[in-house]
Amino acid sequence: MRCKKAWIAGRRSQRLALGLPLLTSYFSFLTPPPPAGPWRAVLDLAGGSLPFALELEQAKGRWRGRLCNGDRCQSLSAVRVVRDSVVLEMADYAAMIEAVARGDSLVGAYRNVGNRGPRVIPFRAAPGRWPAKPGSARLLGRWDATFFQDGRSSPRVFELRNGPAGLEGTILSNSGDYGHFWGQAKADSFALAHFDGSFVYLLTGRLTGDTLRGVFHAGLRSQTAWKAVRSTGKAHLKPPTEVTRADTTRPFQFAFPDLEGRMVSGRDPRFRDKVVLVDVFGTWCPTCHDAAPTLVRLWRKYHSRGLEIVGLAFEVTGDSGIDGRQVRRYRDKFGIQFPLLLAGINDTELAAEALPQLEGFTAFPTTIFLGRDGRVRRIHAGFYGPATGEQHAQLVQQFERKIEELLREQ
Amino acid sequence: MRSEKRPGDKVRGRWLTLCLVLLTSYFSLLTALAAQAPAVAQERAAYLAWLSSAAVSPYAAVARAPIGSGIRLGPPGADIPLDSIPAQHVTERDGRVTLEGGGRARPLTRGRAVRLGGYTLVTSGPPGRATLSVFGRPAAKRPPAYYPYDSAFAFTVRLEPAAQPRKVLLLALDGTEVEATEAGTVAFAVEGKTARLLVRRIPGDEDESDLEVYFQDATNKKETYPAGRFLTLLPLPNGRYVLDFNRARNPFCAYSSVYPCPAPWRGNAVPSAVRAGEQYAKQSEK
Repeated sequence: MRCKKAWIAGRRSQRLALGLPLLTSYFSFLTPPPPAGPWRAVLDLAGGSLPFALELEQAKGRWRGRLCNGDRCQSLSAVRVVRDSVVLEMADYAAMIEAVARGDSLVGAYRNVGNRGPRVIPFRAAPGRWPAKPGSARLLGRWDATFFQDGRSSPRVFELRNGPAGLEGTILSNSGDYGHFWGQAKADSFALAHFDGSFVYLLTGRLTGDTLRGVFHAGLRSQTAWKAVRSTGKAHLKPPTEVTRADTTRPFQFAFPDLEGRMVSGRDPRFRDKVVLVDVFGTWCPTCHDAAPTLVRLWRKYHSRGLEIVGLAFEVTGDSGIDGRQVRRYRDKFGIQFPLLLAGINDTELAAEALPQLEGFTAFPTTIFLGRDGRVRRIHAGFYGPATGEQHAQLVQQFERKIEELLREQ
Repeated sequence: MRSEKRPGDKVRGRWLTLCLVLLTSYFSLLTALAAQAPAVAQERAAYLAWLSSAAVSPYAAVARAPIGSGIRLGPPGADIPLDSIPAQHVTERDGRVTLEGGGRARPLTRGRAVRLGGYTLVTSGPPGRATLSVFGRPAAKRPPAYYPYDSAFAFTVRLEPAAQPRKVLLLALDGTEVEATEAGTVAFAVEGKTARLLVRRIPGDEDESDLEVYFQDATNKKETYPAGRFLTLLPLPNGRYVLDFNRARNPFCAYSSVYPCPAPWRGNAVPSAVRAGEQYAKQSEK
């Protein structure tokens, strides 16, 4: 479903020169050890602690670092170390963590620009790695959740599993997913976090009897109570094929440059009388990475019978040089032989604008199935990756059935 | 001497435990509130840094206008004249705002800052009624003035949910039109009288929302901003909230006449003087 991770590109322009007004340290007479190595980091939200990991290293005099949610890591935009203070720039320089050494710990704040004032959240870190704390079997699996806020309720689905770094999972809503969550479990309680420098999410919960109850925290102050019961297999969210609709009165149109700068359009001879899968994706979207191997397999299996696939990349910067490099890396990583086009930047609203025949576009990736006449026959929002097990197997089956049905039509 | 257990001991022990529990919770409450003072000082420092440097700070606001049938930016004579900016046209179609000029068209997504030469553009507002804000360099303005921290104006409160959590269109602190939700009311005692204020959930950045109170009080006439002040509730782990009037903030119209002023929420007034939070430091405008 939708990777809500985007929104970063536009925030670049809000880049701040905040300076370091608060970093005068009381401990400057000590020379603390440099901050290299792994850190167990925490953002202190009003209702709980959001755990994540930092890895800082110095190579050839330059500092660099990574921000990790369990085993999913991303590079920091920049790391500056001046005496006992550390500045970590993240989310494409749109946000930062400023901290000073206090004993062997780091203490400071996460800052991000908001339109109505700064977003500031207390930050602390201790040296070392988080222990992997897997969840008990009673917590794992698929849960049908209901969020309650101001007397209204809305459905969500939690997928909880144990990964190499402990309990992990994701939250799905009708309009998308909230990215990869990782955290800590203790008996029947858990705290799972997603922090990428821009989005600040914490899901805390406890199992009582057959019911999970807890709070979803967004940012410092937003809290939403929720309750969840084990999924019965019946659809709790809107089915992925009913999220986005299309204008089917005429062939689906698109025209974007490929990685060599040549325009590729839906009217090109290569697509004529073919069944086409249009994959709306982004290299920044982990679910898209989950989907890529399946698309490659489908292309190999059905290409000779008349299947074409085309990927429309919505990337971070909008700069074709930088985005092109990212997409080439993605193509090579998965051995993709079908064309990948640079379609725009990673914003659901802008992507919707670039594809005006779609209505209700919300998800990265979205797979659009075109019949031999070029018209939209199915739109599948999101993708259940291999980590979802049975759901993934079912999805691949549905994709294959639909492709075969469309190939049979003349 | 050996002490002997007497029947009264058990009862006394229970009383002692109860007293201890009450004392502990009283002190932990005091500690929670006392911890607010340094936090408030830090928040004020961060707010000042944001006001003086953020590209979207009200100190940098140059102009703001409803897009309506289109706005021309750029050379003298344009709707919004901007230094060294060639002619640009901002329009809204089907809820989408576009900036066109110099043979280039750029989408302006709501809430997201877009650079135009030395300026920053931000659009806001519901589809069909979008507003464009233009920011330049943050101007040297007087920093916000505050009353000294007074813990008598910090309360822990329970949010009594609204019977009907309906949606209302209103202006947020930054003059942006938002769809807020009636969240409920909070009650607290000032000068021996119970005051009750309306709380609304106002959508913010990145999926976040805040429970906010826009209130008036007896200081509005002379010491604080006449239209009233905004205050955000801070959730506590026990389901209650901190309502700390030391955190009361002015709407952005207090800093610059570029911003429209949110209308006071009817009846949302504290019947006495709340000498806490932001004061009104009149800005001399060009």
